Amino acid sequence: MIWYNDLNDGIVISTRIRLARNIDKTPFPAALDDKKRVEVTKKLFDSVLESNSALAKDFKSYDLDKLKKADKISMLEEHLISPQMVEGKGHSVLVNKDKTMSIMFMEEDHIRLQVIMGGYCLDEAYDAADKVDDVIEESLTYAFDEKFGYLTACPTNAGTGLRASVMMHLPGLTMTGNIGRVLQSVSGVGIAVRGLYGEGTNAEGCMYQISNQITMGLSEREIIEKLRTVVNKISDMEKQAREALSQKHRAELEDKLWRSYGVLKCARSVTSAEAKTMLSDVMLGQNMGIIKCDGKMTPLELMIKTAPSVIMEGKELTPAERDKKRAEMIRDNI
Amino acid sequence: MMDLFSELFDMFDGMDMFSTQPQKVSYGSACPVCGHTWNDFTRTGRFGCGECYKTFRNGAAQVIRQTQSGDHTGKIPSKYGTEIRARRHLEELKRQLKAAVGKEDYETAAKLHAEIKSIEGGASK
Ligand SMILES: [Zn+2]
Repeated sequence: MIWYNDLNDGIVISTRIRLARNIDKTPFPAALDDKKRVEVTKKLFDSVLESNSALAKDFKSYDLDKLKKADKISMLEEHLISPQMVEGKGHSVLVNKDKTMSIMFMEEDHIRLQVIMGGYCLDEAYDAADKVDDVIEESLTYAFDEKFGYLTACPTNAGTGLRASVMMHLPGLTMTGNIGRVLQSVSGVGIAVRGLYGEGTNAEGCMYQISNQITMGLSEREIIEKLRTVVNKISDMEKQAREALSQKHRAELEDKLWRSYGVLKCARSVTSAEAKTMLSDVMLGQNMGIIKCDGKMTPLELMIKTAPSVIMEGKELTPAERDKKRAEMIRDNI
Repeated sequence: MMDLFSELFDMFDGMDMFSTQPQKVSYGSACPVCGHTWNDFTRTGRFGCGECYKTFRNGAAQVIRQTQSGDHTGKIPSKYGTEIRARRHLEELKRQLKAAVGKEDYETAAKLHAEIKSIEGGASK
């Protein structure tokens, strides 16, 4: 099931595992020109699919050069491809049936294998990625070094090539003014915090991606364990913050959350920032049993589908047109 | 260019003589596979191919030491030999043993100890 429709505990929204891999004796994607890149993609693609009947059966392949921008954006929205892959040439991706796994070709590295699942399931996601990694390796020779591990374009990914990340919704810590301190304490232990769409994006809607920064010198299990410890701690603190809000400021909290719901239910123009903040309020209201939503989409799904690039569906829209369309979509579905 | 002194440099690196001020690294030649130079790396922060890690080994080691927490101890592709794998597995068990002893988890420690013994015993036979 696509990750944002899967069940979660309202704090840990989704789990993602990404393995970066490159093949031997071949320049990395950025060091190839467009023509060469298309050639290498084809070679990778064919050898992965041809030698692995299991993969060929489970996965559907997409040549991103042949897709419309709108389709690429919706794959980005589902986190099946990365922002860089929407632009640029020579990208391809294999996606499995339930959209929990995607194998991206010619991102920063030749191969980026990703598992994304709803909820909190680091081990399950890693095991799935590990298994497919083994299968792919049967038909290719990875660039690997005993000391440096799996070799990647950026040395900050080398070693395990593993980025494990968990998306957390942290409105309690945000409202109680504790989020800055929490995140600061985390960054000291080799854990990175980013916004919804990864590197360089803002943590709008109180959504944070917590991931390992160190990829070498620890085993995959150790990396995951370390992340889990941090995520558990943050999760506990978020619960405490929600509890404190609920006990000391119940009336104000309820008012604030219902007001957001009211605006979303009626407004005729909603900016992206407003949508994220207010949908975050509604999500919190739902998780705390204050608001019961019965619309066609969950507040989380709406948050994903009303992001500026997604709402445009590849068309040229002015900001005013976007805000109007966003308001309509939310009104109809919340 | 033949890499004659990498072991020596690695030894110096290991001594952390310049830990406050990273050494200036420079290479005369480009990577034989992708043609990238060390300058390309310092400009972009990206290597051009896997071979670059060999071509610019000491530089790579230095950069990695600043951001990572040690040599690779994780997964090894099956093509790269069962030997490395077995050695790694043993090292991993020994580290776990040390951690278990540190946490005074003697039950786990005893289990790990027995496992290490049996692997080492099996290898020497
Ligand atoms: Zn190279």
